[in-house]
Amino acid sequence: MSKDLENKENTKYETFTQKEYMVMKDDLLRPIEKTGRVGKIWIGFLLAVILAGIYAYYLQETKGKYETTSLRDYTMWGVYISNFAFLVAFIFTGVLMSAVLKLMNFEWHRPLSRIAEVISVAAIMMAGLSIVAAMGRPERLYHLFINGRIQSPIVWDIIVIITYIAVSLALLLITMIPSLTTCKNHLQNKPKWQMKMYEILSFGWEGTEAQWKILKRSIRILIVLTIPVAIFVRTVTAWLFATTLRPEWDSTNLGAYFISGAFLLSVAGMILAVFVFRKAYNLEKYLTPMHFDKMGQALVLMAIIYIYFNINEYLVPAYKMSGLHKNHLLNMFTGKDAVFYWSVMFFGVVMPAILPLIKAMRKPLPLTIISIIVIIAGWLKFYLIVIPGLAHPYLPVQDVPASWIHYFPTLIEMTIVSATIAGMLLIITLFSRLFPIISVWEVAEGKLEGKEEIINYK
Amino acid sequence: MKKYNYYLATCLLFLFSITTLFAQDKEAKIILTFEKADSLNVCKAFVTSEGIPVSEVSVNLAVKRLYSNLPIGDAIATDSTGVATFEFPNDIPSKNGKLTIFATIVDDENYINTETSGEVNWGTIVVINNSNVEERSLSAGRDRAPIYFIILSLLIIGLIWGTLIYAVLQVFKIKRLGNANIE
Repeated sequence: MSKDLENKENTKYETFTQKEYMVMKDDLLRPIEKTGRVGKIWIGFLLAVILAGIYAYYLQETKGKYETTSLRDYTMWGVYISNFAFLVAFIFTGVLMSAVLKLMNFEWHRPLSRIAEVISVAAIMMAGLSIVAAMGRPERLYHLFINGRIQSPIVWDIIVIITYIAVSLALLLITMIPSLTTCKNHLQNKPKWQMKMYEILSFGWEGTEAQWKILKRSIRILIVLTIPVAIFVRTVTAWLFATTLRPEWDSTNLGAYFISGAFLLSVAGMILAVFVFRKAYNLEKYLTPMHFDKMGQALVLMAIIYIYFNINEYLVPAYKMSGLHKNHLLNMFTGKDAVFYWSVMFFGVVMPAILPLIKAMRKPLPLTIISIIVIIAGWLKFYLIVIPGLAHPYLPVQDVPASWIHYFPTLIEMTIVSATIAGMLLIITLFSRLFPIISVWEVAEGKLEGKEEIINYK
Repeated sequence: MKKYNYYLATCLLFLFSITTLFAQDKEAKIILTFEKADSLNVCKAFVTSEGIPVSEVSVNLAVKRLYSNLPIGDAIATDSTGVATFEFPNDIPSKNGKLTIFATIVDDENYINTETSGEVNWGTIVVINNSNVEERSLSAGRDRAPIYFIILSLLIIGLIWGTLIYAVLQVFKIKRLGNANIE
């Protein structure tokens, strides 16, 4: 049996060119082998931000939200929920850069898909935590399970988030099975627990034809599943707003508007992540300028779609300018939030639709700079959707304390928000230190185009 | 000299306090009467002091609610016959139709604070129809969610989790195949 297998392996490697595979494998496993000084400083920094966030949360819960946050009767969600909507947007990296590209057989997805999937997993986990921070006392989450009504959007939110965490984790881990066998077989000088982890998570992978068949089938089911579930998550997030009594959100456009925004942000996030991994782990051979060129084109497409939904969201009510919307819209178009609103619109929506049309702008560095601007503007865009929206209720605002009308996040709120973002980055960083951030087998399979497919590279 | 001024001021203040105290000391009595004139509810407060009707005294009218008294209009001064006439609204809700009405004299220059109450059958009985509490609706409690809603939710959740569990169970097949190969 083992002799049989050996012969089989030899022939397979020959068709693949074993040398090519070994080089590729070494390249992709290198980041796991050693963590440099910069990497350690980066992890330390993220840990410090997270610890600060935990302390801020402790202060918030012990001193009371009225003391520590700016949340009041009107702006009762504040920056926690705008940050939540921002984080949820990044789950679409997994949808677009992994699932959609795979299903549509775009070959350039191969080195990108795992990066996209891990961003998705990290984003949804931190989004879930953001909701708990916003709810106040953590036991409220438990009460939501015990006393929640299935008719309530917050219960749908919890259900879809848990479901998405399960689906995205399953997809990430199952796709990794052959790569983990590679780790198990080729990594040396690693702690025992790490090797044991590879052993367990590689599920006795032998690379036989039957195993490949099952694996591919499972992956296919999961990538098909991840698309509707991600759309559910994003739509329910939008519905949390749409079902709340604020004229700004009383819109049938909100679900699609949020999804289109998420697509734009996820492409921008992906560009930034690819740029960082490419530089930090010397992966220029795998993450090529071609990928940036394609992602730049995707950025333009998503920005144009987002512009369309923004027009629906703002210009249609502005045309009618009914009493309910007038206050809020004029405040943003020409009033006190005008500079903020137009800057966010320009940098976060219009600019990514125009600049990457120029080929030179789709090169790695300029495209990454554009993406960073889009991400910052994207965070502020959700701030703009949540905070002025909440501050303009249906009933006229009369005889209330000034602190109810003017919201500005406190240091404690911003520290907790920073900690959620740092948490997301830490998950991605630690993942890339423990597992190959580029799927070895998927890239190898791509290189085999036109050759006889090998099934047993380990 | 200054000391003397201070002493004088204190004495004057003391005398003033005593006079005002005695001036307020008069007791007043309010008698509440309820009349129905056409469709109007009229409430009359007859104010007397030592048996003599008093004019130009402000009377406040209020109706008892759950926690405190709800004022009915502004204070009205008594006329030359000692009567303050109030028009009482006919839409004040009540459980059994009965209302407790208070007439008060508060902070008057000549009379100390007085309060009288009377009960009258002028309340509008509120009929609470809670029959729809048992109905299933989107706004009802968790055990009263609409059936279609529960079925649809469970169907979607079941479908997605079913597919997910199916896909994950496949992976254990991979493990079994691997083990078989090793053996």
